[in-house]
Amino acid sequence: MNWRPRRSLALLMLALGAAAAGWVRGEVYQEPDAFVAEVFGTRPEPKVLWLTKDIQAQAAAILGHPPVQLRQRYWSDAHKSVWILEEIGKEELITAGFVVAEGHIDHVRVLVYRESRGQEVRYPSFLKQFKEAKLAQGDRLDREIDGVAGATLSVGAMERMARLALFFDRMSRQ
Amino acid sequence: MLLRLFLLRLLRRWHARVGFSAMLFFLILAVTGLILNHGAGLGLDGRYVHAGWLARWYGIQSEPPREAFRSGHHVLVAANGRWLLDGKISGERLPQPVGLIELADIFVVASETALYLFREDGELIEKLGRGALPGVPVRALGSSARGIVLRTASGVFTSADALSWRPSTQRSMLWSAPAELSVSQRQAYEEALTPGVSVQQLLLDLHSGRFAGRYGPVFVDLLALLLAAVSLTGAWLFLVPRLHRGRH
Repeated sequence: MNWRPRRSLALLMLALGAAAAGWVRGEVYQEPDAFVAEVFGTRPEPKVLWLTKDIQAQAAAILGHPPVQLRQRYWSDAHKSVWILEEIGKEELITAGFVVAEGHIDHVRVLVYRESRGQEVRYPSFLKQFKEAKLAQGDRLDREIDGVAGATLSVGAMERMARLALFFDRMSRQ
Repeated sequence: MLLRLFLLRLLRRWHARVGFSAMLFFLILAVTGLILNHGAGLGLDGRYVHAGWLARWYGIQSEPPREAFRSGHHVLVAANGRWLLDGKISGERLPQPVGLIELADIFVVASETALYLFREDGELIEKLGRGALPGVPVRALGSSARGIVLRTASGVFTSADALSWRPSTQRSMLWSAPAELSVSQRQAYEEALTPGVSVQQLLLDLHSGRFAGRYGPVFVDLLALLLAAVSLTGAWLFLVPRLHRGRH
């Protein structure tokens, strides 16, 4: 019986434990509520966008999968809105904050990163590509986002979330 | 001339024997490699295989559920990172719940660090992380005339919509408490809540040979050498007669 995958099991359990720990917290660069407070200078009450069937369908087209929940909270004033979104990069969720002003992305920040690789998507050199981006035809961004070697899936997730933030902002103002 | 013919026949015979006997393993390697190459697109990491024998094979301890949370119309049993909510499995890698309450048209499940709001039909309305909660860890979940009540490390808070929270001043609230399961219920639920192994992990272990234990990777190394040998002998058998014919 000693040919059973004991070492593999130990490694698997270790990996599962590490993954579970990572899943719970990940690498927290900024707490989401601190990001909201930084944008508005205070902590405004959250608002809610209910995802109707139509919104769900369009969000699913953007994400490539149905949205996981039926309502999305956001924070806004007359000029801008803040969306804290989560999307899976390769295996784990990436939490990012998007500030949308006048239908354009004002700025983006990666708040929690849980993947083991691809953290480069949090660098300003990558994130600045989203500045002033807006939705073009087909709910696509009006520009190409250059990838990061070794972080292709995380880049894809960031782009999908950017499109979703712009779409949700549009829906919230209708 | 005779030696060359002898060598060619010998190679052909062994090329066929090795190729045929290793065919099944080559196919496993090819198919698992092909699927793994598209693992992200296929969402393999989010898919799990649940089988008692597989969990035992991987040495994953299956924890039987000990208690259930019940509200008016809903039942939640949790074990091994899985929730059985109203008889339906509700996902993977979920935290241990601390309470379940039912309000007018929604029901709510709390873990230590998150709150899950569900519609009556079980569809998730919203998951509130620690940033959206008035405090963590959540010690207990309850309900009052004003809505959801949370007892956290920093006090007792209430909310009607789970958006804004205020310290609770109410005295009459109903706290959710787990109910012990009978032995037969534990056994029945344990089967439904068997821990799983992700399809990606399973395919990786099959591809690398680790699924078969310590000597599995050595066996796959051997297969790789055999595949190289079959490729080389195949090239030899294809090229040498043609080169020879070309010279005459």
